[in-house]
Amino acid sequence: MTSSPGFSAQTLSVLAALCDEPSQWQHGYALAKQTGLKSGTLYPILIRLADRGLVEACWQDEPEPGRPRRHLYRLTAAGLASAAEARARAARPKAARAARTPTVRGTVVGVLP
Amino acid sequence: MNRWNRAAAAARRAAAWLLPAGRREWVAAIWAEAYEVPPGLARLAWRAGGAWVIARQALLPRRLGRAAVFAAAAGAAAWAAWPQPTVGHAAVSQFHVIATVLLLAGLPLLSRRFFGPPSPSRAGRFLRVFCCAAVLALMPALAIVEAFANLTPAQPAYRYVFCIAQGWSNVQGCTGVPGRSTGGPAWAGEIPLILMTVAYLGVILFLTSRRSRVTRGTLAIGAGTGLLFGVVMYAVAPLGLSNDATDPWLPGSAADPLVALAWILLIGGPAATAVLATRRGRGPGGAALPRNVRIGQGIAAGVLANATAALFVSALGFSTTALMLRSPWLLHWLNHGQHLTAIAAYRYEIIAGADTNVYPLMLIWFPVIGLIMSALGAACTSLGRPAPRELTPVPATPGNQ
Repeated sequence: MTSSPGFSAQTLSVLAALCDEPSQWQHGYALAKQTGLKSGTLYPILIRLADRGLVEACWQDEPEPGRPRRHLYRLTAAGLASAAEARARAARPKAARAARTPTVRGTVVGVLP
Repeated sequence: MNRWNRAAAAARRAAAWLLPAGRREWVAAIWAEAYEVPPGLARLAWRAGGAWVIARQALLPRRLGRAAVFAAAAGAAAWAAWPQPTVGHAAVSQFHVIATVLLLAGLPLLSRRFFGPPSPSRAGRFLRVFCCAAVLALMPALAIVEAFANLTPAQPAYRYVFCIAQGWSNVQGCTGVPGRSTGGPAWAGEIPLILMTVAYLGVILFLTSRRSRVTRGTLAIGAGTGLLFGVVMYAVAPLGLSNDATDPWLPGSAADPLVALAWILLIGGPAATAVLATRRGRGPGGAALPRNVRIGQGIAAGVLANATAALFVSALGFSTTALMLRSPWLLHWLNHGQHLTAIAAYRYEIIAGADTNVYPLMLIWFPVIGLIMSALGAACTSLGRPAPRELTPVPATPGNQ
């Protein structure tokens, strides 16, 4: 199932964090530090993304001694595509602004002595 | 692991049983990750987040909350509408209450099965909640108005007024046991009422489902126009349509501009919404829709507009009349500045009760008018206008790079 086009800002930040190293499994705490999200916000997002098939999760094979096994996350192929699409969509207005700005500035600069 | 940690882990394991099986490992994941968080407040906050996730997933799921709200509202409406055994045709009225509640509870489930999940638009959610609330509000209001309108008065002077309001020229042909409500809805009247409820719920559930392909914009246009028309109609006919008991706040010619606006909205509203919805006809992502789909969007918007208005004015009109019959202060507030004798007040009430007969007519004819006018509007717009172009990105060329 593909993603819906409308991701929240928090979901986009999680997708961006997972996109940094898409082949690597990442931990929840590392994602929380990267995105600045609390656990009560981060995990519902991960649950939704996993339900949509955009994120896959697994348990750590060899836990550190004296620690419980950790849950690991990474993007699926569909998740990668959705993240790329969402990033492109988010960047589109910026690109449009960037294209307009030099023209306006250029006009202003041209008027100035 | 100290005592607090063991207690917290035990509480977490117990709480996890509140969750569906597929969610339990997520709670375990949050708890396991807590060991990576620096001890102290940060770790406590992390676990509090985990508790919040459990609460959201287990204790406060939206479906459970919605079901609880519906059960409470349906229970209250059924309690208020449940007829006394002495009321005429009590069995029919009891059937009406039970059938309406079962329809409201069951049709959304059937709709999900056949039409798919609800549309994710706010207008779609609003329309579903509004339709359910209006049908629930109509239930007790209808019961109160019917019980009063069919209650044969004991005193002869009141009986005369009662018989005139029932359409008799005198008390001779007007039968009924004084002091008892001997009339009321018969099966012949009940079945069309239930069919109308099924039709309204079915159409609104279908149009607000994903499989209907009605766009968010169409739903918003239809709901918005319908609400506007409903407000205008309620201002025109708060107690049914009659020269005797209507427009308590806009007496005489003061209501004329609103009456004109109501006619314009009844005929022109669906046509205008159809034109708008047909012109806007774009799917998700701005994709152009085929001509027949755009016509369908226009018709859906027009029907929704008039159906919403009919439901709005009927629910509010019946409720206002029922409240007036139960609350003397409202009767006197609606007739402020007049000295109402007891029999004048009764005459006012019985006429208002009889005038509510116009609302079922609105419920039948408004959507039909909406269907005809919106079909005309959508067809004219679609014939006179080429299909909108696809929104495709401009190819990069050396000139525009």
